Order: sequence, then structure tokens, then C-alpha cells
Amino acid sequence: MSEWLQHAIAHADSIQDGFADQRATSLALLTDTKWPSRKTEAWKYTPLRAVERSSAVFKEESPELTPVDVEGLDFLELTFVDGQLVSMPEDLPEGLTIEMQESDLFTTIKPARHIFGLVNDVLAADVAVVTVAENVKIDSVLRINNLLSNGAQGHIRVVVELEAGAALKVVENAEAHGATLTTAYTEFLIGAGAHLEHYRFALQSGDNVALGGSHFKLLGKATLNSSIIGFGSDLQRIDTDIIYAGEKAEAKLNAIYLLDGTELFDLHANVEHAVPNCTTEENIRGIAGDRSRAVFNGRIHIHRDAQKTLAELNNRNLLLSDKAEINTKPELEIYADDVRCAHGATIAEIDKKALYYLQTRGVSRSQAQLMLSFGFINELIDQMPTAELAEWVRPIIRDRFAQMEVK
Amino acid sequence: MSNENVLLSIKDLHASVEEKNILKGLNLDIKPGEVHAIMGPNGAGKSTTGYVLSGRDGYEVDSGSATLDGQDLFDMDVEERARAGLFLAFQYPVEIPGVSNLEFLKVSVDSQREARGEEALTSAEFLKLAKEACKQVNLPVSFLKRGVNEGFSGGEKKRNEIMQMILLKPKLCILDETDSGLDIDAMQVVANGVNSQRDSERSFIVVTHYQRLLDYIKPDFVHVLADGKIVKSGDASLAKELEAQGYAWLQTEPTEDEIED
Repeated sequence: MSEWLQHAIAHADSIQDGFADQRATSLALLTDTKWPSRKTEAWKYTPLRAVERSSAVFKEESPELTPVDVEGLDFLELTFVDGQLVSMPEDLPEGLTIEMQESDLFTTIKPARHIFGLVNDVLAADVAVVTVAENVKIDSVLRINNLLSNGAQGHIRVVVELEAGAALKVVENAEAHGATLTTAYTEFLIGAGAHLEHYRFALQSGDNVALGGSHFKLLGKATLNSSIIGFGSDLQRIDTDIIYAGEKAEAKLNAIYLLDGTELFDLHANVEHAVPNCTTEENIRGIAGDRSRAVFNGRIHIHRDAQKTLAELNNRNLLLSDKAEINTKPELEIYADDVRCAHGATIAEIDKKALYYLQTRGVSRSQAQLMLSFGFINELIDQMPTAELAEWVRPIIRDRFAQMEVK
Repeated sequence: MSNENVLLSIKDLHASVEEKNILKGLNLDIKPGEVHAIMGPNGAGKSTTGYVLSGRDGYEVDSGSATLDGQDLFDMDVEERARAGLFLAFQYPVEIPGVSNLEFLKVSVDSQREARGEEALTSAEFLKLAKEACKQVNLPVSFLKRGVNEGFSGGEKKRNEIMQMILLKPKLCILDETDSGLDIDAMQVVANGVNSQRDSERSFIVVTHYQRLLDYIKPDFVHVLADGKIVKSGDASLAKELEAQGYAWLQTEPTEDEIED
């Protein structure tokens, strides 16, 4: 066990709530887990030095922080500052409840193999449990804010259950003000025929460490549309699991990462097709500039009984500098014989025909290259179902991209 | 023909693609305001002419010259040729998802204005022009928001090309089989768009297989391109002859070096 971990889990003793049993189980697992090194497959390209060196602390008192505004959207805000829940929406629409209580779902959807997930089990003090009642469709967007003040360490956890036929839109939003460390995990149970529209914005660049995951279990005919957008930082790691537990469910995952400087971004996406007739579509696109490093691992596991699975995984990357690095690894494990699967991972070059086309209209070669590179990412922003979120994030990404140099 | 008052002058142009000679001594002079149709069998070099003039990668000029307004085209980058007033309407316009049509059009127009030392248009000014151009070619304004040519039908792509032409106001427009894949109604829309841009200054090269487009866009001259050079030129009536008789009657005796090939 690392010194950092020993130090951190000492704080677990102070947490007294209804989740004590699960926390004890996770603590035991954690104690038995070897601290990852470069030899650990899941952490091969992502060293944990930034965690070990982090001086972020558990703060007794935190400043008041408010999340960024998004024009045109009036969120239901669930806001954590330095790991403490500081505000809940006052008027909840009928059929939506948020409680701080026991939940049978806690730790059951997120697989135990995620070491920082176990850390989060032990250290997340204010577990929020969100429930949407059967057949209730919530129009407003629920935003989970993970705000961190300079020097702080914070661990947040939210469990969301959509009962049969329900619909919900959830945004996970992280903002770090200075050198911070956080773990942020969410678990979603998407009930039969329910629909979840999900976003995870990890736009906190700079000298912070962020470890987290979004984990989904889909029952029959459930649908998930998830968009993950990340910038790199000292260390940014997101694990996502999509687990099919009922037939005819569908999930679409789009992810974008855009890295500069010496940033690191690591996305591990795992899909478990445990039952027949489910459909997965994953589009993962990244741009790495300067000396940054992107890691993508996309595993699709099609179990023996999961006949008639349709699964597509596409990872495309652009390198803007010869010192930038992309480590991409699609992994298809197929044990059923009647399935349709496709995967591809490319380090893309700019489409020459498109470049020529733009130039014949008078656009300079360099500007055409920029337009096409941004377009490569923008195509996924265009697919975000809530237009206000697309319009909000597009200029943020465009600005960051404009600052990146082609070397 | 003297060089005076000539917009495009192509002299003894030889060009190749992947080391295969395609153009074998092309000569063509076009004056301001003229419409020239280039017809000819498949593989004659019709599309190659447009690609060579616009500067596409892989299209090698082996010898000969081409000037636009007295400027050497082959000495310019692709975008410089466009800024000098050359426009190529593609036979197969490229789809670019993720780049909106409006942004594409505005950047194109801004680039050309900047090259001429003019100020960029404001977004509002440009949007107004773009909407008018949409109307002119019968494209719903919503197409401005979509990715460039993304999911457009064949006809919509061609109309989008003409819209670009209307906004860019080039000196010389090369329409590369703009009629291919269009029904009569769509062809009329495209032709109307082209005709609306005809004036005493702007010239056109209309590359086509079929005479029917020339019923709508009346050419001043018709040339037959065969095996990399112009083998016959005439007025609009030549197109009708070709329609009736095909190209076979024009196949001249092979020249000596072709026999050597």
C-alpha cells in the first residue's frame, strides 16, 4: 500500500453513515489490492506519481464555490465542494428524489477492480442517491458538480436509479481551482425501457489529479446516450463500464479528449454484453498536442450467451506534434458466434481530398488543416442531444484547440 | 488569337496522373464573359483539366502553360489560384462532417476578401448573403447549419457548389459535370444559378457529357476534347451534332507518336 493511500484511508474512520458495511468490504479489498505499477495492465501507460506526490488535503473549511453557468439551461444542481455536499435542488420535480441514505445499489454497479473506485467507496462521505420513479420523464437536467478549492482533496459519489420507463438527463461536471486531487464515481441503474442521457465534462486542466468513473447497468430495452469530454491534467483517468443485464438495450458512448502541454488523459471503457440482442456504439476521438499523452483502452466483452449483439468501437486520434503520444488498445473478446462487431483504432491523418476542397475555395492550407482537425471533434459535439450543452462546450473546446500549436 | 483581353490562356499543356499522360497538348483561350463548353468521351481529360488548373496533388504538369489574367497559375498554391478568381465546381463535392456549411462558406469568402485587401464581413452581413444564395439555388436555409455536404443528396451537393460560386464571385468558373446525376428540375435550378452569374466579365468552362445542360446554359463555344487535346471547336450547334452523331466521327487519324505508344 502506498503512503498516499495509507494517509488517505485514515480519514475513513470519521465517516458514520448507513453504508458502513459496504465501506468495510471495500476497505478490505483495498488492503488486499496491490498498488498499481507500470506492470499493472490497467495502468501501464498511466503512472501514479502525480497521486503519490499530491499534497492536496482534506479541508476542514472550504470557500464558497459556484459552478459555471450554461446559457439556456436551468439545472437541478447537486453541488459538492471539496467532497462535501453543499447544496441540493430545492424544488424537485414530482417523481425525482434525492436522498442521503442507504442504497442497495451502492458499490454494486461499479466493478471492484477499479482501485480508486474502492478508495472512493471508503472516502466519499456524502453519498447522494437519486431516484426517478417509474415512467417519470424529467425535463430538467440534473447537474452533479464536483468543485475543488486550491489544495483540497475531495471524494464524491452519486448513485442514480431510473425505474422502469423513466427518463433523466445527468451532467457530471468537475471544476478544479488550483492543485487538487479528487475521486468521483457515479453508478447508474437504468431500468427496463428507461432512458439516460449522460454527460461527463472533465475540463479541469492544470496541476490537478482526477480519478473517476461512470458505471452503467442497463436492464431490458433501456437506452443510454453518454458523452465524455476531457482535457488532460497532471493525471486524468476515467473508467466507464456499460453492463447489459437485460435484452434489447442500447448504449451509445461518444468521447472526446483534447490534450496539450504535458497533460495526461486516460479513458478505459469496458462494455459487458452479458445478454443477447443488445447494441453498443462507441466513437472515441482525441487530439494530442505538444508532449501530452492520451491513453484509450476500449474493451468489449461479448459473453457466450450474448447472441445477436451489435457492437462497434471506433477510436480515431490526431497527433499535432511528434512528441505527443497516443496509446490506444481496442479489445474485443467474443465468445458468442452470432454477433456483429467492428472495431478500429487509427492515428488519423487529415483527409487530403477535404483539404484540397477547402483550398480550392481560397482557404489557406494551414487554416484548412485546423478546420478539419476541429471538425473531427466537432462532429461528436454536434451529436450531443441537448443543444445548449453543445453550444456551451463548443467554444470552450474551440478556444483550447486554437491555442494548441501544430509542431 | 492575341493575348490581349484574354482571361484564361492554356498553351500546349501536357499533364499526367500517376505517370500516365492525360493532357497531350491542350490549347484554349477564354475571354471575359465567354462560356465555353468542353465535351468529349470518357477518359479524354475533361476532369483532369479542372484538377490541373486548380492544382490538385498528384496532377503533374509536364509542359506548357496556363495563365489567368496574365498570372501564371502553375506558380501558385491551390488557395492562391482560388483567390486569383478560379473556381472549380466539383463533380463529386467532398463531405466534411463537423465543419458547418456556414462556417466553411464564411471562411472561404473571408479568405478571398482578405487576399483582395477587403475587410471581413460581419457574421450578420454574411448570414444575410448566405441566406439569399440559399434561396437562389433552392436549398433550405437549414442546410447552412449542417456539415459541409454531409448527407446531402447528389442534387443538393451540386446546388451547394453553385451557392459557393455565387458567394465567391470568381472570374472563371469550371463546372465539372455539374449536370451528372441531376434530373431535369434540378438541372434547371443549377442552370438558373449559373445564368444569374453570367455577365460581361465572368467566364465559364462547362464540362459535360451531354448536350442537354447546354440547352439551359447557352455556350459561346463548344470544344471536343479527345485524347488530351481539343480536336474540334465550333459554336453551340456543334453540341447538337455531337448529340446526334456521337464522338466516333471525330476520331482523327492517330498521330505518329500515338502509333509509337
